[in-house]
Amino acid sequence: MYPDIDVFDEDVRADFALLEAIADWCDRYTPLVALDGRDGLFLDITGCTHLFGGEDVMLRDVLARLRQMGFDVRGSISNTPGLSSAASRFGRGGVIAREDMVSALSALPVHALRIDEATIASLCKLGLKRVANLMSMPRAPLARRFGAQLLLRLDQALGANEEAISPRRPVASLSAERQLGEPIQTQEDILGLTTEIASSLKQSLERRGVGGRGFELVLFRVDGRVVRISAGASRPLRDPKRISGLFSERLDAIHDDLDAGFGFELLRLNVVQHDVFDALQRDFAGEEGRETSLSDFIDRVSARFGAHCLQVYEQRQSHIPERAEILLPAIAALERRPDTGTSLQFLPRTDRPLRLLRNPEPVEAFAALVPDGPPQQFRWRHVMHIVTRAEGPERIAPEWWLDDEKAKERDYFRLESELGRLFWVFRLGRYGDDPPPSWCIHGVFA
Amino acid sequence: MANEAAARETLFALREQIARLEGKNLPAMAAAKMEDFAVRANGGERLPFNIPSLDAALNGGLLLDSLTEIRSGSFYDAGAASGFILSLVGLMKARKSAKGPMLWIADAFTACETGVPYAGGVKPFGIDPQAIFHASPRRLEDALWLAEAALESKAFIATIFEIHGNPKSFGLIESRRLNLRAKAAGRPLLLLRHAGSEEASSASFRMSVEPAPALERRLADGSVLGGSIGHPVFNITLEKSKNPAPLSFRLEWNLHDRQFHLARDPNKSALRKWPAHSGTSLSVSADRQDRPKALGSVMAFEKAS
Repeated sequence: MYPDIDVFDEDVRADFALLEAIADWCDRYTPLVALDGRDGLFLDITGCTHLFGGEDVMLRDVLARLRQMGFDVRGSISNTPGLSSAASRFGRGGVIAREDMVSALSALPVHALRIDEATIASLCKLGLKRVANLMSMPRAPLARRFGAQLLLRLDQALGANEEAISPRRPVASLSAERQLGEPIQTQEDILGLTTEIASSLKQSLERRGVGGRGFELVLFRVDGRVVRISAGASRPLRDPKRISGLFSERLDAIHDDLDAGFGFELLRLNVVQHDVFDALQRDFAGEEGRETSLSDFIDRVSARFGAHCLQVYEQRQSHIPERAEILLPAIAALERRPDTGTSLQFLPRTDRPLRLLRNPEPVEAFAALVPDGPPQQFRWRHVMHIVTRAEGPERIAPEWWLDDEKAKERDYFRLESELGRLFWVFRLGRYGDDPPPSWCIHGVFA
Repeated sequence: MANEAAARETLFALREQIARLEGKNLPAMAAAKMEDFAVRANGGERLPFNIPSLDAALNGGLLLDSLTEIRSGSFYDAGAASGFILSLVGLMKARKSAKGPMLWIADAFTACETGVPYAGGVKPFGIDPQAIFHASPRRLEDALWLAEAALESKAFIATIFEIHGNPKSFGLIESRRLNLRAKAAGRPLLLLRHAGSEEASSASFRMSVEPAPALERRLADGSVLGGSIGHPVFNITLEKSKNPAPLSFRLEWNLHDRQFHLARDPNKSALRKWPAHSGTSLSVSADRQDRPKALGSVMAFEKAS
């Protein structure tokens, strides 16, 4: 029939990705966007309509813009998600006022109620083809015959029963945006505008007595793509300059990946996470200045290279050297509580190496004094080290509650080689056991 | 006449600028003319070791507002080099009562080779592990950016910049840039070069560090504990300084006093091949016949392990 037609398999994942992209784009109208099945979107526009010139204008604007992008769309605005979905899929769409809700719904087929196929089939078999037929029937027999789902959907569509949509993204605690007549492309423009938006956020932050710790900059491109850039801060921030400074590092880092295309037409700054802002009073010694410059440095590094680039040490309650301390991202740990002393009893009383190998490396030990003496020489990475002096052993028992019960104990030695190099070597296991003990190096001393 | 004076003025200004870049004292005449600046040039804080011969070679101590390079010959000496650089920070904390965090910009390759600094081992050097920030950049360019940003922020009392070998992208220009940054910020930048060779750089001083056998532990009554391994000892060679010839020192870093001492010559026990033996060695027989020679020839060596 149609020899020119191209046939493709359905790509569910690509369709879904497209729907998600449209949902991203719809963020410009409201932060509350939810998915409806495989081909629909719910927009909760409560309190947003006046920004776009009323419901009628807004609906027309949404549909016109999506049509310009090449989509065939229908849309409807009503008081309930159920009715909106029904009216846009099976009705004429448009804006449905509160008093018209019953008449609008009653004209629609029962398929519009979002109920399962089997119920629809049996309803149709009984001749109940329109919602009006259902509305005129007594409720109790309907519920008995078709289950509670049918009446629930009917009530939800008419607003007698509340239906909540589940937004795709968490709602930002604060958010400000700027619509642009002329799209912007350069990094400087984006940063300058971010500073302006941040200064409009400052008042709201002050009123709440908080500062932002996690920020998200949402850039809406002219062709409908949405770019989200997030950045964190080690201390609650209010200062617009410092907020846009976070993004300046971030934009530097992703410079090549950020494709401005024909420019961005809408910028929004979200405060994703906030914290109580302790107002600092400047003291005469200028101590505060160093504190802020440190947190500023941490923010810059974390924004540029990621939170795991800059880390601080944290003591843990363990005697096993590699578990006794871990590295935490500095951005999260700057405002940590001072050490309460619980890990004090785990502080080693003997010397610990200056540099610890990430994993103990096996060494070949020669002429070790049996059963618990140090080796007289050992080979590590092809080099033979002749031991001149040794201190030890220090026995560290395994943690059976974490390791296997059969985990072996370690006997640590400090070994000094001929040239004065100092190594931390341990014997895993005991002589006489099967398999025989092995030797490993775990660190070097100064 | 006026022309000449103006030319001299320009000359002085240029000399001044050169002296400032090089961290030198100004020539006497210029110094007299520009007293306020001379104060600054001389007043660049120095960290003395309190060892007269070493301090004299260093013109009074390490410059605390410039780039200082500590170099080790191989990765096996990484422990000694790291220890020496941390003892410098410890000395600075003790002498200058400097408070504040320290930044360690690690090198990924070195971390694989000889591990990362361990807080339990850093603590005895007088540095609180909670005040250490550990940065692990992926590339050298990122590390350079980090060092520059750290100096600029003036948040750290010392910045340790770890590299390995002699990378091409860290040459004279980069070291000069970092040195100027350190001068502007007035904070020390310690470059820790593992397994690298001597190279022209803008560092104010360059020292090479080798480990040396430690002295024995001193007991409370002044005696030493035989066969024990005491405070770390470093062989320091002053490679770049105002001194013409390279000078070598053997320094012991006293972990308790937070102070460097010239180490005594290692006694014999430190060079003995086998672990210390408690028995007294027998005196050599002088007037008797030699031991009987072993019979036959060696067929097989003894077991080595």
